[in-house]
Amino acid sequence: MARGEIIAGFLAPHPPHLVYGENPPQNEPRSQGGWEQLRWAYERARAALDAMKPDVLLVHSPHWITSVGHHFLGVRQLSGKSVDPIFPNLFRYDFSLEVDVELAEACAEAGRRAGLVTKLMRNPNFRVDYGTITTLHMIRPQWDIPVVGISANNTPYYLNTKEGLAEMDTLGKATREAIAATGRRAVLLASNTLSHWHFHEEPAIPEDMSKEHPQTMAGYQWDMRMIELMRKGRMREVFKLLPQFIDEAFAEVKSGAFTWMHAAMQYPELSAELFGYGTVIGTGNAVMLWNLRDAGLSMLDAPALRAASRDAARDAQRESITAGRVS
Amino acid sequence: MPVVSAFLVPGNPLPKLKPEVLGLGRLAAATQRAGRALAASRPDAVLVYSTQWLAVLDQQWLTRRHSAGVHVDENWYEFGDLPYDIHVDATLANACVAASPGIGIHARGVDYDGFPIDSGTITAASLMEIGSEARPLVVGSNNLYHDAQITERLGAMAAACADEQGKRVAIVGVGGLSGALFRAEIDLRADRIASAEDDRWNQRVLRLIESADVGELRRVIPEFSAEARADMGFKHFHWILGALKGRFVGARVHAYGPLYGSGGAVIEFTL
Repeated sequence: MARGEIIAGFLAPHPPHLVYGENPPQNEPRSQGGWEQLRWAYERARAALDAMKPDVLLVHSPHWITSVGHHFLGVRQLSGKSVDPIFPNLFRYDFSLEVDVELAEACAEAGRRAGLVTKLMRNPNFRVDYGTITTLHMIRPQWDIPVVGISANNTPYYLNTKEGLAEMDTLGKATREAIAATGRRAVLLASNTLSHWHFHEEPAIPEDMSKEHPQTMAGYQWDMRMIELMRKGRMREVFKLLPQFIDEAFAEVKSGAFTWMHAAMQYPELSAELFGYGTVIGTGNAVMLWNLRDAGLSMLDAPALRAASRDAARDAQRESITAGRVS
Repeated sequence: MPVVSAFLVPGNPLPKLKPEVLGLGRLAAATQRAGRALAASRPDAVLVYSTQWLAVLDQQWLTRRHSAGVHVDENWYEFGDLPYDIHVDATLANACVAASPGIGIHARGVDYDGFPIDSGTITAASLMEIGSEARPLVVGSNNLYHDAQITERLGAMAAACADEQGKRVAIVGVGGLSGALFRAEIDLRADRIASAEDDRWNQRVLRLIESADVGELRRVIPEFSAEARADMGFKHFHWILGALKGRFVGARVHAYGPLYGSGGAVIEFTL
C-alpha cells in the first residue's frame, strides 16, 4: 500500500452565489456574473489542486447538520438535484459524485476508536447539501476526483464552542489516521466562511455588485486580522484568537471545518497562500491554501510503516542485547 | 371566523419512519387522529408553520402548486425515505407574500422544482393527510431572526388573507416541546425525555395550553425556551396564537412523548 499523504488543506467557502455567478451547465438559474474576485480566487485554487493530483477530496460542510454524531457519506455514487433552501433562486444544481467509501469507513472507524459517535450515511436517495456541492464545484468542477463528505455535528452550537471544537480536533486526528491507514493522497477542504454577519434582504438583482460590501466593519477587520496571521503562518495565534473571532464576528468557523482540517494537518505553523477575499451578502470569504507537500510536511506514517519501524527497533534492541551477552 | 380548527404536532420524522416503536407509534396515531379531526372541520386550506423550514433572508412562503418526490432526512436517513405529494393553495400563499410588507416583513414566494421541503412539513402532511388537493397547504418558513411577536403577526396575517378570500382554514404549528436530544445513539424502544426537568416543563406548558391560560403561557414561554431549549422558542405555538387572534377556550392533548430525548405532543385546540 502507498504511504498516505495529506497534500494540502484549502479554506474553501461555499456561498452558492459563486456557482450562480459562474453559470455552469449543472446550475439551472442564469446570472450576469458577479463575485468575480472570489471566483478568480477559486480559479487559482483549481490550478493549484490540479497540480497536486490527489486521490481524494475530503470536505467538511456546515450545511449537513447532524445532532447525533459525525456522519460520512457512505454510498459510492450519489446524484440528484440540490436546491439551496435559503437561496433557491440562485442554486438548483444537478450533481453526480463518487464517494471514496473505503476511506469514509476508515474515518468513521478511526473516529469511533477516538471516542466519537460516527455514522455512515448509506441511503442512496440522500440529497447532498449545497455547502458540500458548492465547495466541490468551485475547487474541482470536473467532478473527477472521489470525495469523502463529512457532516457538521452541531456540538459547537448545542453545547459550546470549546467543547464543540475539541470534538472537531478529535475528528481531524481520526481523519489523519484513516488517510494514513488507507494510503490515500488526500486534499482537505474546510467549507467555511469567515465573518458571517449578513444582509437580511437580498438585492433585487443578486449579482448587482454595487450592493455588495462587508455587513459590518468589525467583521471585515476581524477577517483581515485573521487572514494576515494565516498568511504569516502564525497559526498558534489564529487558534488562540479563534473563540473570540467566532464570538465577535459570528464566524462560521464555529461549525468546525477549519479546526477539523488543521487538526488533521497537525496544526502546522505554515504560511497560507491567499488566493482571494470577497464578501457575499456581507459575509467574509477567503480562499486559502496550506501546501504541506511543498513544505515537506505531507507524508504520513502508515500503520504498516509504523509497525515495521517498531519491529526494526525491536530487532535492533534484541541484537544489542544479544551482542551484549556475547561480549 | 375563517379558522375552523387548530393543531400543534411534532415535526420530528421518527413517528412516521418508525411507527412500530411503541412510543413513536402512539405519536403517529395521535397525529393521524388530529388529521381526522382537521378533515372533519372541512377547511378549504391549511396554514402550516414548521420550525424546520429555516430561513435567514426574508420570509419565505411555499407558492408551488404541486410538489412531489422523495425526501431523506439529514439525520434520520437510516430509517428510510419520506415520500411526499403536496398541493398548495397558491392563490392564498401569494396573497400572504403580497400582504407581508404590510406588517413590515420582506417576503417572497418559493416556486421551484426540487425545493427541499422540510421534514416537519412532510411528516405532518403525510400523517395528517393534509396537502392533498382537497386540503391544500399554505406553508410559511421559520426565519431565524423572527421572534415570537413577529411570528404571531405572520399567523394573524395569513388568517386574515384567508378571510379576505372567504376561505375556511385549519391552522397547524409543526414543532416540538423541549429540545434536548440525546447526543449518542440510543435504542428507540428505551427513549425518554432527556431530563426530569425538561419533562416537568413540558407537562407544565401542556397543562397551561389545556386550560387556555394564554396570559401565563406568554409569560412562561421565554423561560421554557431558555431552560428546556424549547424548539425554536416555541414559535410554532405563536403562529397558532396569531391565527387564533390570541384566543382559544381549551385544548386536548392527544399524545405526549419523547423523540430521541426531546419532547413532542399532539394538541388539538378547542376554539
